[in-house]
Amino acid sequence: MPSSTSSSKSPALVHAKVLLGICALLVLFFEICADYLLKHDSETYGRVSQQYAEAVKVRPSRSGEPASVLMVGNSLLMEGIDVDRLQELTSSKMRIYPIFLEATGYYDWLYGLERLFRRGARPQVVVLGVGVNSFLQDSVRQDYAPMMFFDVRDVLGVASALKLDRTATTNLLLAHSSVFWDTRSVIRTQVLRHAVPHCRELFTLVKSKPALPPSSELELITLARIQTLRQLCDAHGAKLIILVPPTRSSEDAVRQMAIASQKVGVDSLVPIDPATLSEKFYQPDELHLNSEGAALFTSALATYLPVEIGGPKSASSHN
Amino acid sequence: MLFDSPAYFLFLIPVALVYWRLPHRAQNILLLLASYFFYGWWDWRFLALMIGSTTMDFLIAQKITAGRTDSNRKKWFVLSLVLNFGILGVFKYFDFFTGSFSTALETLGIHHIPLPLIRVILPPGISFYTFQEVAYIVDVYKGRLEPARSFLDYGLFISLFPHLIAGPIQRPGHLLPQVQKDRAFDADRFFDGLMLIFSGLVRKCVVADNCALLANAAFGGQFGPSNFWIVLIGTYAFAWQVYGDFSGYSDIARGSAQLLGFHFIVNFRQPYLSHRLQEFWRRWHISLSTWLRDYLYIPLGGSAGGKWKTSRNLLITMVLAGLWHGANWTFVVFGAIHGAVLAVERCLFPVKTKQKDAALTQHSVGVFSLWAQRILTFNVLCLSLVFFRAASLPAAVQFLAGLSNFAWRTEYASAFFMLGLFSIPLFVVDLLMETSNQEYPFANAPYAVRTALAAFALVILALFSGNSLNAFVYFQF
Repeated sequence: MPSSTSSSKSPALVHAKVLLGICALLVLFFEICADYLLKHDSETYGRVSQQYAEAVKVRPSRSGEPASVLMVGNSLLMEGIDVDRLQELTSSKMRIYPIFLEATGYYDWLYGLERLFRRGARPQVVVLGVGVNSFLQDSVRQDYAPMMFFDVRDVLGVASALKLDRTATTNLLLAHSSVFWDTRSVIRTQVLRHAVPHCRELFTLVKSKPALPPSSELELITLARIQTLRQLCDAHGAKLIILVPPTRSSEDAVRQMAIASQKVGVDSLVPIDPATLSEKFYQPDELHLNSEGAALFTSALATYLPVEIGGPKSASSHN
Repeated sequence: MLFDSPAYFLFLIPVALVYWRLPHRAQNILLLLASYFFYGWWDWRFLALMIGSTTMDFLIAQKITAGRTDSNRKKWFVLSLVLNFGILGVFKYFDFFTGSFSTALETLGIHHIPLPLIRVILPPGISFYTFQEVAYIVDVYKGRLEPARSFLDYGLFISLFPHLIAGPIQRPGHLLPQVQKDRAFDADRFFDGLMLIFSGLVRKCVVADNCALLANAAFGGQFGPSNFWIVLIGTYAFAWQVYGDFSGYSDIARGSAQLLGFHFIVNFRQPYLSHRLQEFWRRWHISLSTWLRDYLYIPLGGSAGGKWKTSRNLLITMVLAGLWHGANWTFVVFGAIHGAVLAVERCLFPVKTKQKDAALTQHSVGVFSLWAQRILTFNVLCLSLVFFRAASLPAAVQFLAGLSNFAWRTEYASAFFMLGLFSIPLFVVDLLMETSNQEYPFANAPYAVRTALAAFALVILALFSGNSLNAFVYFQF
């Protein structure tokens, strides 16, 4: 044992031990608080967990019953579709089970769907709508998704697919198992919303928008990803439909994505050509549809989605 | 393994617990293995490079000492420098210079010249451990240091994990004896180490990561096309980001070292309170600036050859310091701006001793003038940081071109408020530390007060950290 200049009763050592003890207690306290707040105050958690629980129970419909449709996506669908209205308009043809989580993309849903299937979900149709940029981005949402969409094997799969380093993988695993670690960025955002005036507008502005890869790579990546999703859905007896919601200045990318879907034999649905939608149908962020745009999109979806569900595999663009 | 990740603390705590139960030699073996594990956590492939480089300099130092003639000693010395800077050059600068040469040829109308690019990932920490190895070889060659007799000691001096990836660059004369001698557990220093870690975490996860949000948005174009306000938000936010980030890293490194009984040199001393750029470099990344002074500026001739030679030496040193940060012309321009301003300052304000300089700032200049100079220096620094942060020279120029446009949006007010929320507390802490000359805030307060402050820091971390997308800025160097 090396020599020591301090006895075990030195005030510094006592306080170091006290400090480490306080740290351990605070970490426990944060975990309990985060868990409580998540289950009692988080709108996102409440909504997604309820939608998820419903989706796990989805089964193929019997003959003559409306088709069971699992509809998954991000804020583009959440803001752009009035699900109740869509269900009302299409009630005789389909039963919709939505799961919408903001800021999710391809990898969130690839592994999210895998887990849903593992847990017993058996929809007849899977509609995925995340927009072209999010479909092509190489990331997963760091909060909510690791806890709500992934098992440990999914986290490891995500880490491998995204070539995450060991530190990032550990962070993702921790986000999967610790509510506090998973939701700490949400906590920070909530605190800042109270501390910084007009924080919501500021955060909307500073949120980085994923850039599209060069068009030469775009098609290859899209093809590979749609193929993977199709294989997953085929393996569980579900038909995959790629829903492409409109976003400003995305006409080219939307067209390329539709062509790529067609090449791998997956239906893609573009209910509204983005070129036909003027600025007045979008929110100030120019990304999400406003209520007027959502009404238009929902109505178009109610017209064309039942056709796609029943029809042959093709790329459909309507305006 | 990032210092602000849980993985690091899951690594550090068991290492520290086992470490203090071992005798000296076993402590060194444990630390060497732990350091290699820490380094290999990023990429095991680069471990071989670091061990190879360490072994090479260990052996060459022996040869230098054993050399019977000056020419023989010099031969080994030059070989070491060539190998060290050769490795650094290949891994860090080869593609940069080849690419720049190719662009230059194309500008001259010479096309389709096939030039090789190696396209390798930059090994983590290579700039830092190379500089440490070079310092060791120079000190041995100059006779200022006895070469390490044990590879274990030398290997640990190079790879000790708290400083391995981003410094502070340790001087052989400071750290090597600490590795070689018995280290006694000192509870006061252990407690100070914990406090430094908390201080560093708050600087990095609260100040830097939140300022990064604004800086990234300004430089990334999310605020829209550049204008005066965006330049202000972007540069100020980046200035506080990079300071919080690197001083936070340095605090965690120093704190971790203190938990293991080592002492690292202080790397930052309230740099934004500098009234001139000369003073800034005495307060910012001190381990690098003193390294450059001792191993580059002074060997070049320093200030011994008159005004012009001094200016030349300053310019060369700072351009190379800029290039050390990364293989990009933006860093060269960053260094050139600093070199030019330092040369001008040298002409306008001839160098004084530290004591006289301190006296000048406190008494003869006057408070108003001192603060005016501090504000001017900070803004010159911010201007240079545009080149440090921008992805390319055209991007930096385009960003600065917005300065003549004053179009205002209400979101800018929120951005300034947020910037103030995270930077002003650090600024106040700096003012406190400037007057008290402490290593961390309230270092002389009673233990109970400091324990409470650390617990408060943990609460602040829980509430305000959460931006996990920002690795330490200096890890890329």
